[in-house]
Amino acid sequence: MVTPLTAQGTQLSAEQVGYLSAGPGRAAETALARLIDGGLVRVSRDGLVTAVHQNNHGATTGVEARILSYARTPVRFDTIVQSTAHSTEMTQLHQHLLDQGLMQHPRRRNPAWGFSLLLAAVLLLLGFVTPVLFLGVPIAVGFGLWQRGRKAVTRAGKEALLHVAATDRVHNVAVYGFCGKVNRRPVAEDFGLSQSIVKMLPLNQRRKRRSSSDGGGCGVSGGCGSSSCSSSSSCSSSSGSSCGGGGGSCGGGGGS
Amino acid sequence: MAGIADLGVGIGWRSEIDLTVERLPGVDFVEVVAENLHIGHLPESVTLLLERGIPVLPHAVSLSLGGADPVDLNRVEHLGKVAEAVGAPMVSDHVCFVRAGGLDSGHLMPVPRTKDALDVLVANVKLAQENLPVPLALENVAALLEWPDGELSEGQFLAELVERTGCWLLVDVANLYANARNIGTDPERFLDEIPLERLAYVHVAGGEHHGDVYHDTHAHAVLPEVLGVLDELCSRVRPPGVLLERDDNYPSDTEIASELAAIRAVVDKHGPAQWLN
Ligand SMILES: [Fe+2]
Repeated sequence: MVTPLTAQGTQLSAEQVGYLSAGPGRAAETALARLIDGGLVRVSRDGLVTAVHQNNHGATTGVEARILSYARTPVRFDTIVQSTAHSTEMTQLHQHLLDQGLMQHPRRRNPAWGFSLLLAAVLLLLGFVTPVLFLGVPIAVGFGLWQRGRKAVTRAGKEALLHVAATDRVHNVAVYGFCGKVNRRPVAEDFGLSQSIVKMLPLNQRRKRRSSSDGGGCGVSGGCGSSSCSSSSSCSSSSGSSCGGGGGSCGGGGGS
Repeated sequence: MAGIADLGVGIGWRSEIDLTVERLPGVDFVEVVAENLHIGHLPESVTLLLERGIPVLPHAVSLSLGGADPVDLNRVEHLGKVAEAVGAPMVSDHVCFVRAGGLDSGHLMPVPRTKDALDVLVANVKLAQENLPVPLALENVAALLEWPDGELSEGQFLAELVERTGCWLLVDVANLYANARNIGTDPERFLDEIPLERLAYVHVAGGEHHGDVYHDTHAHAVLPEVLGVLDELCSRVRPPGVLLERDDNYPSDTEIASELAAIRAVVDKHGPAQWLN
């Protein structure tokens, strides 16, 4: 795949792409996908994940090492994804993305943000009668925008994701998740994983799935509903905001 | 015996490695632990293997046929039902006991090699055979100890067992190696004494040395010495099948495939490859 570069020229890893795309749960899925791809863990039909070696052999990142530690004894597919999403190593990955300026601390959207904008409009109209009220318009607009919240992925992060082309199965997981589809083919199938296994994942994480009918290589701007790939329908509209849009609940596996 | 010939090279099916077993090249047959299967609810993977025409042989660990306690016919019945469910040509257990006086050893305990113990074993095996729908094969175990006052060698003991019951033999070459190392059994003498024409198939497994003791862990790689015992066996007879047992610390698919290939190479060294694969 074409590895995207940040504004600082740093290459994004698949895990980072996963985190920027859909949060720590997706990053955990991506790390797990890399370990399956490398033959370092195996998943059984009933969804038990086991490390092939007992000494974290083959881990290339802290998150991967965390997964291998968890999987020294068989552990459920969903449990390992969620535990990893909540791990210290995932917090470190998040911090790295913050340091790189690819993410920021999101602000939760206040449901009253629309009211502030409505107030601004009213003040604008009344300002033609009582001009001093014009002074309140920028204040109301500014307050409304502040209340509207702030997404977790920065503009730089979104731009970096725009260059992501998912052309291997690990990056397919980063971009679409195990529950997503590429060319109408479930991503999980590329790993020999049945739907019963990936359906162990919590519903909110599965809803972050995306799909592509263009064989991958579509640009990504961080979430299911805002991608340049043509969707083949499995993309859940309810998850259009994805990472950070709703304020901080980024990633199905819980947040760091 | 019809249905036993040409099993080929196989592996013990375990749920942790079900997908591995399904995709591994060179798996001609599998063995399942009968106690882990529920009649009427076979694992999807086992069903898939059966659909592919892979023979599935039930292997029991709890009949305790060498024990003085009465044979638990419920366990025998379960084994028989598993055999019918998977269409197996035969079933197997061990020459051992696992229960006595209401206690469970949690381990396959060796049987004293006395005439009296053999009489008990023979009676139990005959009772099991009467209640099983398919032939029974019995496996030599790795002994942690040797009971005193043995009257027969292990090979003589098994030969007489076969003669009196008509059972088949499942020879575990790793157990044979373990006994050679730990209690001084002579593998060549063992192979000389057992009726090799009643050989159903062979087990190969991994283990490790701890000082002078060999641990038959089934959780480590197969040692060259164990393949050496297989080689010795194959120099006398072409076994109908050879099966790799791995029960824990499962290595990568590649490593398992190499172990299967190594087993196949030993067998094929002694004659033209006849097994389909
Ligand atoms: Fe064995």
